[in-house]
This record gives sequence, C-alpha cells and structure tokens, in this order.
Amino acid sequence: MSAGPTIEKLLAASPYSLPQTEKRQILTERTRELTRHHYERCDVYRNLLDRIFGGSKALQFDALEDAPFLPVSLFKTQDLRSVDPAAVVKTLTSSGTTGQAVSRIHLDAGTAHLQTRTLVKIMQHFLGVERRPMVFLDHSNVVRDRRSSSARAAGILGMLPFGRQPFYALREDMSLDVEGLQEYLEKTRGQSPIFFGFTYIVWQYFVEELEGLGKRLSLPDAVLLHSGGWKKLEALKVSPAEFRARLSAAAGIETVINFYGMVEQVGSVYFENPLHFLQASIYSDIIVRDTNTLEPLPPGRAGLIQVVSALPESYPGHSLLTEDVGVVEGCDNPATGMNGQYFRILGRLAKADLRGCSDTFQKPLPRPA
Amino acid sequence: MKVTTDNQLQVHLLAPSAGVRSVQSVQSVLSMSEAPAEPFSANRRQTLGRLSRMILQDAELRADAGSVALGYWLRTANIERLAQAFERRQEAEPDVVFVPAGRVFHVAPGNVDTMFVYSWALSYLCGNRNIVRVSGQQNEVLLRLLHLLSRQMQEDPELAEGNRFLTYEHNQSISEAFSQWSTHRVLWGGDETVSLLRTLPLSPHASERTFGSKFSYSVISIAAYLAASTETADKLAAGFFNDIFWFDQMACSSPHLLMWVGSAEQTDTALDRFDQALAKEIGRRNYRGAPSNAIHRLNFVFNLACEADLSADLDQKEFLAVRLSDAAALRKDICGGGLFTHLQVDELSKVAAIGEERDQTITHFGFSLAELRELAQKMGARGVDRLVPVGEALAFEANWDGYDLIGDFLRRVTVRLKSRAW
Repeated sequence: MSAGPTIEKLLAASPYSLPQTEKRQILTERTRELTRHHYERCDVYRNLLDRIFGGSKALQFDALEDAPFLPVSLFKTQDLRSVDPAAVVKTLTSSGTTGQAVSRIHLDAGTAHLQTRTLVKIMQHFLGVERRPMVFLDHSNVVRDRRSSSARAAGILGMLPFGRQPFYALREDMSLDVEGLQEYLEKTRGQSPIFFGFTYIVWQYFVEELEGLGKRLSLPDAVLLHSGGWKKLEALKVSPAEFRARLSAAAGIETVINFYGMVEQVGSVYFENPLHFLQASIYSDIIVRDTNTLEPLPPGRAGLIQVVSALPESYPGHSLLTEDVGVVEGCDNPATGMNGQYFRILGRLAKADLRGCSDTFQKPLPRPA
Repeated sequence: MKVTTDNQLQVHLLAPSAGVRSVQSVQSVLSMSEAPAEPFSANRRQTLGRLSRMILQDAELRADAGSVALGYWLRTANIERLAQAFERRQEAEPDVVFVPAGRVFHVAPGNVDTMFVYSWALSYLCGNRNIVRVSGQQNEVLLRLLHLLSRQMQEDPELAEGNRFLTYEHNQSISEAFSQWSTHRVLWGGDETVSLLRTLPLSPHASERTFGSKFSYSVISIAAYLAASTETADKLAAGFFNDIFWFDQMACSSPHLLMWVGSAEQTDTALDRFDQALAKEIGRRNYRGAPSNAIHRLNFVFNLACEADLSADLDQKEFLAVRLSDAAALRKDICGGGLFTHLQVDELSKVAAIGEERDQTITHFGFSLAELRELAQKMGARGVDRLVPVGEALAFEANWDGYDLIGDFLRRVTVRLKSRAW
C-alpha cells in the first residue's frame, strides 16, 4: 500500500495541529482503508473478521469505535503479516521475561519509513530540529549485539538517530559512571543534552544512585525522556510527581517527559504534555472501553485502552485492544498548546487467576524486585 | 519415617489455629491422638450440622454462592440421608463391620475454595482422622471457612484432636511424611498435582484416590428446547448461569461445551433463544465478572478463530458463545471466565463419539431417562462420570468422578460366625 491521500494529509500536518473532530475524521477514513487493505492481504486477519466481526460488513464503519480490533497479545501467538515474507525488512519483537511469548511485528520498507517519519515529527516537536548530545541511562552492551531484541535495546536504537555523541552512563554492572558522565557533560556544556532511559532504570540506577553518593548535578537545560511502565515504581510507592521532584533534586533536570508506546505500534507514540498527561498525535488515537462489556466509555471513565494507529501497513496492527487500563483526561486543551485527546495510564489490567484445578501446588508469585 | 528431619519441617496450621500464622512442625501435626471412632456417630453428624448453621448464618459466606451450597450440603437433613444410605449399606452386607479407613491425607484443589470441606466432611463422618492440605493461594472464602472450623474446634475436642487443616509450599519431604502417615490418600487438584504427588510412597497397606483434570459439557435437545415455555427457558438459563459462572467456570464440572442435539435447520433459532435467555439472566442478576475475564475470553477466541471455522459475537456481555460448524474442529481446551462453544449434532449417539477418559459431568435437558442411561452405557469405560440436570453441575455428591467416596473412607471387616462349609 503506497502512501495514499489520507496518510499524506496526516503527514502534511504537524503532529498536534488538528482539532479532535477533524483528526478523527481523517483517522477513521485511514482506518477504513487499512482495515480493507489487511482484509485483502492477510488470510488470518480476513478469517478473524469473517468469523468474529461478521465478515465484509465489518469493513464499513462510520465511527472509529466500530472499527474491528485485535487483542494485542495475538501477535505473541500468531504470525500476522500483510506482505510477502520477502518484503519484510525488519521484525520487531517485544520485551518479555524468559519463557514468556514475545510479539513479532513484521515491517516492510514502507511501514518502517512511515514509523520513522512520524517519530521524527513527534520528537522534533518536543526536542527541536537540532540534534543534541544524548546520554543513555543504560550500559552500551545492551545494544552491542544488534540481533538482540530486548525492548531496552530497541528503545535505545530507536532513540539514537535523534541525538549525537551518544554516551552510556552505566557500566555493565549497572553502576553509575559518575566521573565519565561529569566529563561528558563538561564537554557538551551549554548544548542541552537529552537523557533517555527506562523508568525503573532511571530511578534505581540514576536517581537513587546520585542520592546515595550525595552527588548533585545541575542540568537546567537538559531533557529526560523515559518510558517503560510504572509497575516497578508503583511497588516502591513512587508517584510520577515524586519521580520528577527527586530527579530535579538529584540531577537538576527540570524537563522530564514520559512516553507511552508499544512495539506493536512504533512511530505513533504518546508523549507527556505540559499537564503531565499522555497526548495523542494526529497519527493515532485511543478508545477507552469498559473492561467487562468492551463498550466505548466517555472521557473520565477508566477502562481498557484500544490504540488505533494510521501507520501499520505490513502487519494488521492498526487497531489493537491492549491490556492497559487508562482514562481520557481531556481534549483540545489550549493550556497544553496541543490539539487532540490526552489520557493517563492507570496500569496493566490485573489478571484474575482463573485457577484450574491443576494449580494446587502453584508456586507463589515472586515479589516485585 | 525420618523423625529428625520431620521435626525440622514446618507447615502453617490453619485449623485448629492458635494465631493468624501458626507455624508447627510436621512432627507435632503427626502426633494427633489415636482415639477410635465409629462411622456416622451422632456427635460427628451434629458437628457437621453446626458447621452448616455457622456457614449459612455468616454474613460474609452467605454472599458466596459456593459457600451457601456447601452450607446446604452440610445441613442435618442431607447428612441424615447419607447416614441412612450407610445403614442400608450395612443391612445389605450383614457379614461386614464397617470401620474407618483410619488416617486420611487430603490434598485439596486450588480452584474451588469449598472443595476441601466436602472431601474432609465425608472422611470425618466415616470416623477418620484427617490432615487436609489447602492451597497456598488462600482467598477470603477459604480463610473464613477455616476460621469457622477453628471456632467449632474450641467447643468440640474430638474435632480439634483428630483434624489438621494446614498449608505449605510444595515440599516433597512434607508431602512424603503425611503420605507415610496416611492409610488413605486423596489427591484432588488435576493432572499436574496428581502426577507430582502420586510418586510419593504410601504405606504398603494404604489406598489412594486421585482426581485428574476434567472436562464437562451439556447436551440439549433442540426440539425440547424450542418447545419449552418461556418460564422453562428462563429456569434453564438460571441453571446454566450457576453451572457456568460459579467458580469462574473453572470447577471440574463447569460446562465448556453445549451440544445441541437435533435438526441443523432449527439450530440457529435455538441458539439465539439460548444466548438471549442467558443474557437476560445475567442482566437480572446484575452480574459483573472479574475485569480481566473479557480480555481472557477474547484472547482465547481470537486464537481459536485463527484455526477453526467458527462464529462469535463480541456484543455479548459477560460471556462469549462460540458457534462451531464442524465437530472435527472441536478441541476440549478450557478457557473459563464465561466462554463456551455451541456445537450441533444430529443424534445423542454422536455425543458418545467425542467421549474421553477425562470427561466428567454432562448436564442435560430434554432427554428421557432411557436415552440418558443408554448414553452412559455407550460412553462406557471411555468416559463421563455424571449425567445430571442443567443447574446441578456443581452440586457435590458422595459419588464423584465415578467413585464411591464413602466406600473409600471406610474399611470393611468381614465377621462370620459359622463356616460356609457347614
């Protein structure tokens, strides 16, 4: 599917420029195109639509809420592709602890290109067009093996092109290289460095480490980007506000931006807006659904998050029901200087253990580290 | 038994309980008194009756359907019925003196919180001493039941002396010590537990009963269902509601497959009527399942739909009925949480064709006794343990999985005065 007029409309606009109604209209049109595109090119997707969504009538929907969706975990068990295997240039895999199934996302050149274009636009909105020095709060070995498919490696590799002179602030044993970092910051003084890391690594190996060492950095012109879920910090009872406050106290970083994204929809990421909510760009949107009935919910009510992205052409991942729970907090708010919906993630849906009779001697769940 | 080792092994004693987390050595658990007891003694029957009242009067447990069912099962009238059956057993075998099996080690399943009480109560009634290992994943219902047992033990020395309810993380040495102690071992908890524990040696004189993982389903006559009045269809939906939604459809006897027997042309009408009646019942009860059940059902059905030709309707609330067009595509995989498969077959004999060893309960509607008995016979050694009306899937019975549990908990001593040769 070569870039059609609908995606061109989105690519021509800046990422937070369109008011919600207008954006929804274009995104819905694009979603109809993508749904038909995958229906015609992916046998498994066509079977699913025929068997679960009533067949070709599922291709005709007026509201985005009525578009078919797949549960995101389906990419862990099925190989879903809408292009020839030969056209696949890259297969992304999700994180996952040992033994857990991982998602496999097949990208062709066109989809990879779309992802890069939109990611650049979103990043530039927050960081400017100038490439800035980049500090990774991780160790370099995470990415040394290019075949390595961990989410940490993917995140760093995805971020690399947006900075220059990359510096890895952690040693392989996850200890903070304070001297090296200070030297690097000295060299790049006045150039507004970008820090990037996974939320819990930033917390445990940077903030707490600086606090323990009694070091205090002063980086008023730096930006810290972080991602990767709050589960570990929640267990430590660290709120987003405390995370920012302690980062500011220990590292002197005032601009901290969290973002929400997933390997199944790379490119259309959700960055934190000035109100500290996650802002949808024009390339994607969310729908919140009741956990039990799956009915769409109005803003202010928490439910399962469905993510709809304008980008996926090589795999049928344009409309996915996640297992994250969130709530829409507002829309087109002038106070944010951005158009579109914004929301908050409340966490992963708690799995009720549907206990089979065979888990009598199930091992207790490990305590969070 | 390695006494020195046993002394170091520790378990959490839950009843009789000295405190919230009472830790005891295995050795002290095993030093229960050896008082002889007689099966179905008046005292033991009364104790169960008192437990029944305690459960049914408990505000917390009254809100739990499974506990209410347990409370009713333990009530005096039902225990008296069991006692009468025992009397008939004695009368039928005048040469036998029934005595307790002795020392019973129960390993209770993790999926049905009330199950440990049924297994224990029958054994207790038969006069045995018991060690009951419950799941480590205790929820409020389980803890509440144990609390009531503990309370009753304070007033009932016989109960307190001869019964230990406890838990421990999987530990071969502890399970081995209890197995060696026992004269009869009961392993609930499905294939994994059974294969894990079955290898632990018992005394050469001991016996054992094991309960593997099961699959249960329903058979419904399409003609009878379509002919049924609205009132009957509603009652049936209420019965299905209980069978499906109690224990989140994860009990061994919860149905996962509804086999519709009759004409293919009438199937759509019957299934529509059924799905609507069930939706109405869910609405009437204001039922809202665990928040993760819907996504659990979706994950299951999307994976199934990648391989099997089926149809499903995502607009259904709190359940998901999958229609399968071909019996060949049937897989007896268990999803739980409100997912079931509809499958049409022409005649009841086709049901026998899918029978397997692990089949347990078939709930039925619209067939004659003769037809059902014939089905049981046809399925024969291959499977199925119970054919009971819709709505009674989860009703516990002393005959379970095809076994006579009372018989298991007793030993038969032959006493004959005169030589047969004379």
